[in-house]
Amino acid sequence: MIRLAFRNLFHNKVRLVISSGGVALALLLILSLDAIFTGVEKRITAYIENSGADIWVSQEDVFNMHMASSSLPDNVARKVKAVLGVDSVSPIHYLANNIIAGDERNLAYVIGLTEDAELGGPWSISAGRSLPDEDEVIMDRGVAEKSGIGLGDEVEILGKDFTVVGLTEGTSSLVNSIAFISMKDFENLRKNYDTFSFLLVKVRDGQSPQVVAERIKAQVRDVTVQTRDQFAGQERKVVKDMSTDLVTIMNLIGFLIGLAVLALTVYTSTLSRRREYGMLKALGARNRDLYLTVLAQAMLSVVLGFLFGLTITVLLTLIIPVLGVNLTMVVSRVSLLKVASASLILAGISAMIPIRQIAGLDPVMVFRGR
Amino acid sequence: MLTSSNNKSLQINHVSKRYGSGSTEVTAVHDVSLSVNPGEIVLIMGPSGSGKTTLLSMLGALLKPTEGEIHLNGTILSALAENRLPEIRLKQFGFIFQDFNLLSALTALENVAIVAELAGSKSGEARRKAASLLTELGLGERLHFLPEKLSGGEKQRVAIARALVNDPSLILADEPTANLDSKIGHEIMRRLRHIAKEQGRSVVIVSHDQRIKDIADRVLWLEDGEFKEAVTMAIDPVCGMSVEREKTFRAEWKGQTYYFCARGCRDEFVNNPKKFITVV
Repeated sequence: MIRLAFRNLFHNKVRLVISSGGVALALLLILSLDAIFTGVEKRITAYIENSGADIWVSQEDVFNMHMASSSLPDNVARKVKAVLGVDSVSPIHYLANNIIAGDERNLAYVIGLTEDAELGGPWSISAGRSLPDEDEVIMDRGVAEKSGIGLGDEVEILGKDFTVVGLTEGTSSLVNSIAFISMKDFENLRKNYDTFSFLLVKVRDGQSPQVVAERIKAQVRDVTVQTRDQFAGQERKVVKDMSTDLVTIMNLIGFLIGLAVLALTVYTSTLSRRREYGMLKALGARNRDLYLTVLAQAMLSVVLGFLFGLTITVLLTLIIPVLGVNLTMVVSRVSLLKVASASLILAGISAMIPIRQIAGLDPVMVFRGR
Repeated sequence: MLTSSNNKSLQINHVSKRYGSGSTEVTAVHDVSLSVNPGEIVLIMGPSGSGKTTLLSMLGALLKPTEGEIHLNGTILSALAENRLPEIRLKQFGFIFQDFNLLSALTALENVAIVAELAGSKSGEARRKAASLLTELGLGERLHFLPEKLSGGEKQRVAIARALVNDPSLILADEPTANLDSKIGHEIMRRLRHIAKEQGRSVVIVSHDQRIKDIADRVLWLEDGEFKEAVTMAIDPVCGMSVEREKTFRAEWKGQTYYFCARGCRDEFVNNPKKFITVV
């Protein structure tokens, strides 16, 4: 009966294209949206992941960077440095602001680095230097290109002009980029000389970040201490919390479109073969054999749609960077599992009405049809 | 198992079928009895609305009679539970329909094999059986053709192969020649006769086609749900024509009665019977 389902599906090519194509587009909507948000999550934690820090120390009850502000007294750095297992401590300043180049304004996380910062600086330089001096900025290459500027050109940050001395890779996401300036400039612009935003901690070789983080928590008061993974996880959670409703609605829309297309095509396909199913019943096929055929047909449509949708999504993840769009799409295993599960549910629901239709078929129709 | 002791292939006793109840009750078939022997061909004719479809549906275990019993090879079909009937239909009946009713997405081979698979044959075995039957029916070159690529006669031969694939004892044919031209219709009739006479299967045909009388052993006329007339057919030993015993010329020879289409055939026979009858 599986062969019959397969043949029924491929016998009418137009219906197959509509059915699997419709499902593919609906699943593409879900898959690509997931891929975009996974990409955003990955990019938004890129700085944390590539900072080189094993542990992040922030103001008490501040757990992430995005849409948050942290302020630590400068003596905390000394206390943290004294904790057993700590190798180095690099303070950074952090603020969300704009990079202005002519008429172009680009939202950026502005990071203030000490002149000898071991941690927290740019991790991939495509041109120029990797640490800024006073009046200098290191910014994302993509953003610079979009704004029509390069090394030696000037941009405005926090109302002050900076000369671009370095260009970085992998430091922009859909919503913002990262710009590095010197700690001195940051302090002068913010009139903030005795605090830091975050402390980036490197542990000694052989030390567990988790254990060292616990020691810092025990010995330094009024701070939040998290390992890099915990801090990145918190950052992702913020993005997820902000986008959950949107993603849920879009997923639901995609699911409903897929359901409507598939249910309609499976229904019309069964309807058009009503007499054939009646004949099979008359010959002695049991209802369960016929249900299996319809279900298999719906499943095959969904599998084809899923593969088609996945192929287009993967192609998009490859094409989009080439087109220069500042967007990263990442197809995650969780997303694949989610969409595959949704597809199976889609097939099951779509087959229900035709199955009921078959259950009610009177096999005598094969004689009465004349 | 509900069994009966008679040795007829098919026997129906005082079968009636009524639809509705009270003032809306309609009797489609009324107190009909019939028995069909192995190897016998019975043709049921009658006007539209006479109850042929209802009777055929009951014979095929697709419909339960309101009254009466239907026996097939010793099993009382009318007493079996609904869920037992599909298996009986698959293994003991072969159906041939007016519109061929082939599965449009499957090839000739697959159309036959799927019925064997439904009856429990493994895929390879089912395909082998299907290929053998189709080849026997002259469709060896058409095994992998879709129904849309087959002629009417070829489609009906596929339907015959499908009806035979599970080796049934009874073939039920609903207007098997209706959509076929005269030549192909004759060929299908020849096949049905072969199925009955060479393979020993019972064949019940419902049809308006008078030509089928030529191969029938008995012709029954159904009207208003009842058998009104029964005609027993015989072959004219002189010209080979099929004739109705009750309405034609006859002659006795060596204790046997012979039937003729016309006086001329009878006279020719009477003058020299040995010319037409082989004496063993």
